[in-house]
Amino acid sequence: MRRAICRDWDEINPEDYKGIWVYMQVDEDAINEASLQLLGVAREIADKLNSHVSGVLIGSDVRALANEPIYYGADKVYLVENKAYSTYYPRLYGSVIVELARKYKPLSILVGGTMKGRELAPYIANTLRTGITADCTSFDADPETRDIVLIRPPFGAWMLAHIKNRDRRPIMGSVRPNVFPMPPRDTSRKGEIIIEDILVDIDPGVELVEKIPIEKKEELPIEKAEIIVSGGKGLGTREGFRSLEELADLIGGVVAGSRKAVDAGWIPHEKQVGQTGKSVKPELYIAVAISGAAQHVFGIREAKRVVAINIDPEAPIFDNADYGVVGDYKEIIPAIIEEIKRIRKRV
Amino acid sequence: MPLKIVVGIKWVPNTTSVSIDEKTGTLIREGVPSVVNPHDLIAVEAALKLKDRYGGHVTAISMAPPQAILGLEHVIGMGVDEGILISDRAFAGADTLATSYTLAKAIEKIGDYDLVIMGHETIDSSTAHIGAQVASWLDIPYIYYAVNLEYIEDKHLLRVRRILEDSIEIYNLRLPGLVSIAMHSDVPRRVSLTNKLRARIEKPIRVWSNKELDLDPNCIGLRGSPTVVAKVEFMPKVPRKQEVYKDGDPKEAAKWLVERLVKEGLLKIPGGE
Ligand SMILES: Cc1cc2nc3c(=O)[nH]c(=O)nc-3n(C[C@H](O)[C@H](O)[C@H](O)COP(=O)(O)OP(=O)(O)OC[C@H]3O[C@@H](n4cnc5c(N)ncnc54)[C@H](O)[C@@H]3O)c2cc1C
Ligand SMILES: Nc1ncnc2c1ncn2[C@@H]1O[C@H](COP(=O)(O)O)[C@@H](O)[C@H]1O
Repeated sequence: MRRAICRDWDEINPEDYKGIWVYMQVDEDAINEASLQLLGVAREIADKLNSHVSGVLIGSDVRALANEPIYYGADKVYLVENKAYSTYYPRLYGSVIVELARKYKPLSILVGGTMKGRELAPYIANTLRTGITADCTSFDADPETRDIVLIRPPFGAWMLAHIKNRDRRPIMGSVRPNVFPMPPRDTSRKGEIIIEDILVDIDPGVELVEKIPIEKKEELPIEKAEIIVSGGKGLGTREGFRSLEELADLIGGVVAGSRKAVDAGWIPHEKQVGQTGKSVKPELYIAVAISGAAQHVFGIREAKRVVAINIDPEAPIFDNADYGVVGDYKEIIPAIIEEIKRIRKRV
Repeated sequence: MPLKIVVGIKWVPNTTSVSIDEKTGTLIREGVPSVVNPHDLIAVEAALKLKDRYGGHVTAISMAPPQAILGLEHVIGMGVDEGILISDRAFAGADTLATSYTLAKAIEKIGDYDLVIMGHETIDSSTAHIGAQVASWLDIPYIYYAVNLEYIEDKHLLRVRRILEDSIEIYNLRLPGLVSIAMHSDVPRRVSLTNKLRARIEKPIRVWSNKELDLDPNCIGLRGSPTVVAKVEFMPKVPRKQEVYKDGDPKEAAKWLVERLVKEGLLKIPGGE
């Protein structure tokens, strides 16, 4: 028996919903990498369900990008192009996707967890009166029940919560950038481009007055670095990062940090490693004065070698490291720098 | 025109004192004190700054168990005018859809508001869903990650400045509207003793159960939540060598470590491999 639903939800028939959609966020004149990465995992889910993958592309001048989702694994692209969509506003773009979803009834909609994606996705889910799971790290699909399980680490703990969407569709989830690898771009792939003239009757209620690009220092983002020297709360001060920078410079690495180091304002959020920061995959990860909380260690699953330096021999980071040194970083780091310099001189 | 502002605050376990039972892998919650979600204190600060500049009235709302009254007292101590605690067994087990529904219905009951302010996200669930969902229920415009707010009185607009990954953007938001405040964008003011005493004496905190809100039980709590946790499994730990160099002087320790890293070709040392 179907359970009674909230009177503010519309009746739906879950069986009508098919296909996996991925929202294609467009920045300036390219599709955001987080969206393209999701096409790879969407493809895997769709293959398990014997279903298809579609990209959803919205804007005023985006036709030139319409084949990109197909090159990265999509079967179809829904292209909504109109002058009215020249600027992204969450309520505007959200309403377009809601209209598309009402018409085509996708089984699932996935959104890259960029800042804009995290702003947009819950609006879509809510307006469709369906559930959404933030920051998914993997998925499971059951061909029998045609159900998708969204998997994410919950609050604290070495656990993974398997989250299901009871009798509401589409099943929605967001995924942080770089959780999944970029699928290969294959320009020989063919697909269907469906042009939709949806005009939503909604006032976005916001107006972009000014946009100033941020001059990014030509820095390697931590998710692409081969060597990372990462600092935690135990550094004690912002100055503590100086010696980490020195070590990083010496060995061709970049610095990153734990959430507590970010919260203390010692390092920007874009350099946070962990569940609510970034997942990194360096050859070498050196964790300095980081205790090794589950949410932090989660971000270094893919690191090849992990080194831990911590004053507390009981710190959990040592169970999650290949090589550990117990001691005060103020002494250990300079000693390591000295040692490396010494060897380099020798050769 | 003075601004009528509603701020959402969540009562969360203080993560700095949460620890993990290494055997079961679960959270040890017993005896863990709760606090107002730290990012929400910055949302409260943003509301109070607007009130200081343009005049107005700030109401804090929180859907939480009865103990969260302490959280509302805390923000009243900062200068919030009144608090509403939305508390009922019937609201328990809510996912973000049901939580946002309940909060939105409470805001509708408050009725006369210009602006809803939310925190960046909560430290216990970190979804950042509630702001957009509340805006969807209330059918009002919204924008996330505000670092600075200015009220343009004659046009009844809010000027919102925000910083994204690669740009700084300035928006005009039509009121009534909703904003969420970027984490670390400000420092919350301290609780003042006079304000705190006022909270104790005047008791400007109301408690609304579902008697007051009168919501359909199918829309709230567990029943109003499409998402369910079907299963919880251990996260497989990545096997690591776990070789630890303990009691030695820093020089010896550095030698031990660098030797291993060089042997594995992990340090870019010319000829070192
Ligand atoms: C939902 C949720 C999501 C989270 N997401 C993340 C995330 O993405 N990333 C993240 O990092 N955290 C995250 N956290 C927080 C996480 O639980 C920990 O609180 C955090 O990782 C701890 O940071 P830390 O190791 O720097 O600080 P602490 O735990 O305070 O550890 C400091 C360490 O420094 C050592 N130390 C002190 N002095 C010295 C010295 N002189 N020399 C050497 N060592 C010293 C201490 O022994 C200690 O082990 C999250 C938490 C929650 C609840
Ligand atoms: N139970 C709640 N009561 C009041 N406000 C809440 C509640 N849960 C979330 N919020 C608000 O919504 C924001 C985002 O929360 P979240 O979606 O849980 O990350 C928080 O920073 C709060 O401002």
